Amino acid sequence: MLWFVPTLIGLMIITFTISHIIPADPVAFFAGENATAEQIEALRARYGFDKPLHIQLVNYLIGVTQGDLGISIYTQRPISEDLLARLPATMELTFMAVFFSTIVGVPLGVFAAVYRNSFLDHFLRVLTVSGLAIASFWLAILFQLLFAMELQITPLQGRIDGWGPEKITGFFVLDSLLVADWESLQSAFSHLILPTLTLAFPAMATIVRFTRAGVLDAINSNYVLYEQAMGLPSNLIIWKYVLRNALIGTVTQIGLIFGILIAGAVVVEAVFDWPGLGLYAVEAIMNSDYSAIMGFTLVTGAFFIIVNLIVDILHGIIDPRTQD
Amino acid sequence: MKHFKTFKALMLSVALTAMSLVGIPTDGMAKSKFVFANSSPYDTLDPHAIYDVGRVASRLNMYDGLMRWLDNPPKLTPWLAESYNISADGKTYTFKLRKGATFHDGSPVEAKDVVYSIERILALKKGAVSLFSKSIEPGSTQAPDNHTVVFNLNAASSIFLATVPAIHVVNSDLLKSKEVDGDWGGTWLSKNEAGSGSFELTRYDPAIGFQAKRYANHFMGWGDKYLDEIEFRTVKEINSRVLGLLNGDFHGTDGYLPQDQVKRLKADSNMNVLEEESMRIFYSIIHNGRKPFDDVNLRKALSYAFDYDAFINNILSGSVARNPVPVPNNIWGNPKDAKGYTYDLEKAKEYLAKVKGPIPEITIGALAGYGQTEQAAALLQNGLSKIGLKSKIVAEPWSVASKKMRDEQQMYDMLWLWRSTYYADPNNWVGEMYACDQVGARNNSWYCKPEVDKLLMEARVEPDQAKRAANYEKAAKMVTDDAGGIFVYNTKWFGPYNKKVKGVRFSPIGNAQEMRWVYME
Repeated sequence: MLWFVPTLIGLMIITFTISHIIPADPVAFFAGENATAEQIEALRARYGFDKPLHIQLVNYLIGVTQGDLGISIYTQRPISEDLLARLPATMELTFMAVFFSTIVGVPLGVFAAVYRNSFLDHFLRVLTVSGLAIASFWLAILFQLLFAMELQITPLQGRIDGWGPEKITGFFVLDSLLVADWESLQSAFSHLILPTLTLAFPAMATIVRFTRAGVLDAINSNYVLYEQAMGLPSNLIIWKYVLRNALIGTVTQIGLIFGILIAGAVVVEAVFDWPGLGLYAVEAIMNSDYSAIMGFTLVTGAFFIIVNLIVDILHGIIDPRTQD
Repeated sequence: MKHFKTFKALMLSVALTAMSLVGIPTDGMAKSKFVFANSSPYDTLDPHAIYDVGRVASRLNMYDGLMRWLDNPPKLTPWLAESYNISADGKTYTFKLRKGATFHDGSPVEAKDVVYSIERILALKKGAVSLFSKSIEPGSTQAPDNHTVVFNLNAASSIFLATVPAIHVVNSDLLKSKEVDGDWGGTWLSKNEAGSGSFELTRYDPAIGFQAKRYANHFMGWGDKYLDEIEFRTVKEINSRVLGLLNGDFHGTDGYLPQDQVKRLKADSNMNVLEEESMRIFYSIIHNGRKPFDDVNLRKALSYAFDYDAFINNILSGSVARNPVPVPNNIWGNPKDAKGYTYDLEKAKEYLAKVKGPIPEITIGALAGYGQTEQAAALLQNGLSKIGLKSKIVAEPWSVASKKMRDEQQMYDMLWLWRSTYYADPNNWVGEMYACDQVGARNNSWYCKPEVDKLLMEARVEPDQAKRAANYEKAAKMVTDDAGGIFVYNTKWFGPYNKKVKGVRFSPIGNAQEMRWVYME
């Protein structure tokens, strides 16, 4: 936790520097090709872009400590408001992808290890390599063509038909359940399927591989041999004792995957028009909207650090030896 | 093996549950609801903060102006104003507002709202302000009574009337009540509306788009065929827009899709693709202010080195109209007898031989992400290499290019781009692109010739359109003969709609995104 703030400050400085090195003029871009020089200078002064870079950075960091992430030059709304509006969409998609990849990936990893070198193991090897190699945007379009256009069993894009359920948390699946809006629940769930599968595929591949390796490593331990000699049922040995030890590495990977999926959601959100942080980040970069870029980086950086902290805590729970 | 069977059973039940929740996508849209897939996000609804074509739908459908551009070629039509008068000296424009127009909250549209709107535009310094900032002083616009607005211009202007549609009238009382820290209600208006337009906002999410319902009390009245609801959603990916249209998720999308997608849509029996010539010319800026591009011989050589036919017929499949001058074909002021340049390498070499001094490697700018500019740059590079000229292509995002365009040193030697319609007057093109007082602003060619400038300055204040047209025709011909730029085509709009959609009215300003006359059959 001690490194939380210095890490974020370092992230902010790097992002600020990179975004300002690019020879773009967001003010002129926003003002439009018909804008006069006076109009552009007036806007530049209004947004504080006429000040020296180090002053702009200091002002920004001071604003962040007060909860002010600045105003978007493009939307003229507070960045925090824009980010909060988009956060639930990305979180919902990411949670679903992590959940799906975990509940499918872990058991498959176990089976791959238990039935090592069988047809199942080889099949999963091909599947996992594909998951890691295939470009997500290509997979997304393929899924759209197959499931949405050809088979017509899922929607093509978007987050929901219409505008969604009454907003409580911003998570459409959860909000639909809370207000018993079954139509919205069905729509939200059906819209989640393709983006979740696309995002989860490479994550699942990683989890399968790590789980397999962890289980294989644990299976060959002396305590497993002892348990077998004692006549314990094999499913008890595998699912209770071996898996717990094998999951240490997998849990770490799941934590890292969470952060990586937030970044990976950019491509998936673009193809499926998923109105989340990823799409917001793409627009901010194309518009050279400095404040929006900084805000997105701050939020995702903080999120990544928090997730890794949770992973460390879980590590300690799964393997109490690490607490010593 | 047992636990594997258990796992299989578990997965099967999950899948079956998922399938029951998936359902088959149905067309849950009301009969008279129109859904449009837009390529640009609707980041803000403030009509005075933006002035681009990508987000024009919110302005056109929820707001009214004194005048309106309708149809193609665009006709300037009285809208909130029922009449207008221009003083003899061309400096005073008096508009009489029609009675009975109301805002969506029921309050009447009055002259004070028009005054507030122009003052707001000038104060915010965003959106369309550049159309007015040089001609209107803050505080100079008056409302002598509830239905009369008087614009007192700094100098005579024959262009002002053409720019009046850009003044979207907002509800001044409502916005004043929403002002915070002198923001002119900007924060509130970015996600709400204060208009009197044909549709009133019902829902808005910057990540999704906006939804609006028909405003039954609109002053223009309604026939017996109309839309009850409109929805403009952001769908950034071209593929998603096209597939969504084919799938029935949307009823329409933008009319500037790649030709292969247009052909795909045309081939579908549920689609109707409308075709119109728009007013958006594609050309290359040449940096006339930099040596050796200030030499007309080099510029002519460049103009003869571009394969116009190949670009239009092969690369763009004949989907655009050849436009050899800096004024669109379909507007008055276009010199119909101007031939322009052709792809002629011999002539190019002939002019090149007359250029004095060495010619450095030419930097050809293109807009990253805009394929046509990159294709044009590559085609030009090919032509230049055949006449012995070296060049390099620099493709950069618009946010970078737009900065460089204003700086004489940073500006590329050449840059491919479009010139859109901000107002339907030849001044929007040749009058701004090649005027001496616009150098570094809207004149990114650094082109300044006294004889051309004289024609343009006269046309700006001449009240007689026929005389203005003659000036613009002469000026356009002179710029073309001078090879001030490389002028290639005028855009065609191919608007794809579901075949149930009727009543679409296209205008180059607005690109058929005003839904007032549209209905579903």
